[in-house]
Amino acid sequence: MRHFLKRHQTLILAVLLLLAMLLVYSFNLRQKSATTLLERVVLAVTEPLQAALTLSGRSVGALWTRYLWLIETQEQNLALSRENRELRASLQGVSETRLENQRLRKLLDFVETDPRPVLPAMVVAEDASSWARTIVIDKGALQGVREGLPVVVAEGVVGRVIKVAPGSARVLLVIDASSSVAGLVQRFRTRGVARGNGRGLTFEYALRDETVQVGDLIITSGMGGLFPKGLVLGYVTQVQRTDASLFQQIELHPDLDFSRLEEVLVLLEPPP
Amino acid sequence: MRVLLLSFCCGLIFMLLQTTLFAAVLPPELRPNLLLILVVYLSLNESFSRAALLATFLGALQDVFSGTTLGLYAITQLMIFMLVRLFAARLNVESRRLLLILLSAGTLMQAVVISFLLALFADAGAVLQILILSLPAQLLVNLLTGFVLLNLLLKVQPLLGTRLGMAGIPYQSKHHGA
Repeated sequence: MRHFLKRHQTLILAVLLLLAMLLVYSFNLRQKSATTLLERVVLAVTEPLQAALTLSGRSVGALWTRYLWLIETQEQNLALSRENRELRASLQGVSETRLENQRLRKLLDFVETDPRPVLPAMVVAEDASSWARTIVIDKGALQGVREGLPVVVAEGVVGRVIKVAPGSARVLLVIDASSSVAGLVQRFRTRGVARGNGRGLTFEYALRDETVQVGDLIITSGMGGLFPKGLVLGYVTQVQRTDASLFQQIELHPDLDFSRLEEVLVLLEPPP
Repeated sequence: MRVLLLSFCCGLIFMLLQTTLFAAVLPPELRPNLLLILVVYLSLNESFSRAALLATFLGALQDVFSGTTLGLYAITQLMIFMLVRLFAARLNVESRRLLLILLSAGTLMQAVVISFLLALFADAGAVLQILILSLPAQLLVNLLTGFVLLNLLLKVQPLLGTRLGMAGIPYQSKHHGA
């Protein structure tokens, strides 16, 4: 037995390590909302470094895009000129703009009516992988942040807090493939679930017979209790109905650029 | 102990770069996976037990900075280490090109293991689609970064007075008499 163990010690070590890691992974899958000691320590230690590096990275990025990487500038100029002409034309439809104003004001009412205090935070880092979409913010447990709290900006939902360290927290963006938020079509009140797909969102489980049109605004429904009702998730860009499926296939375009997030708001728990 | 600490610090610096500076200027699919390059290098260069522990620990470190569940990258990096070790025992690891080939194999392996684990244990959703779409860009970027880092390392090594030449030679000569 001893001879066997000695002879195959490397293989045994490898298999044991692999099994141990599988156990750790499956345990953590069940404890998704809990932040482990390792995560807490590493996040706490690296947050100041990440903040400093992000600031310098943004300066380098700004230098690069403003002065060196000018390949798309002419195209952008043309696009902006075109957009300008379109905007001039659309200004004539003042009544339409007024209606849109009313709709947007209604959407922003939640800030006044929601009793939750709001905590502003700065984005200090992004996800290290090419497939997951998370960010790190510079506010953590010491400032009242805890797992599950919603994170928003003026343009709509950003995501929810999944890991918390004393001075920082990680936020799972709504466009992450593992994120899903209960939503509804604002105009027709059609219910569904907005799921991330890495770049944008898809609106699932909207019944085939329900009315949804391109351009419709999708907002959070408040179901599940995580996100308050009425936050913007995105606009419908594509609707597909097939006889084979009970549900429609709806693509959403979020109204914010997740790769350019700098400041966000954490909706803290309402005071007791 | 010194090597373990040095490798871990190197991994931490790589993670900080990936999550901050690279994130500021590059889209997610064009950010090189520096930790994968480090694991492939260590797998060729260090003893079995040391490299296995480092791969697991560096994977756990990557888990802290990406995804939602601790353990996913720890398993993935450990499996990449095993794959590299399996090949390294059978091939001529003195070749620089081999490290790059192993890096490509590691990138593919990473995508496959992550897809498999997410499909098996969690709700993979659109992750498979994202992984497949970003794989060609990831392969290219990892190869390019690996090539640059390897050349840099081979130039720096003599200045530091450490071992000369490609990774893997000490291991190969010690264990196989190459």
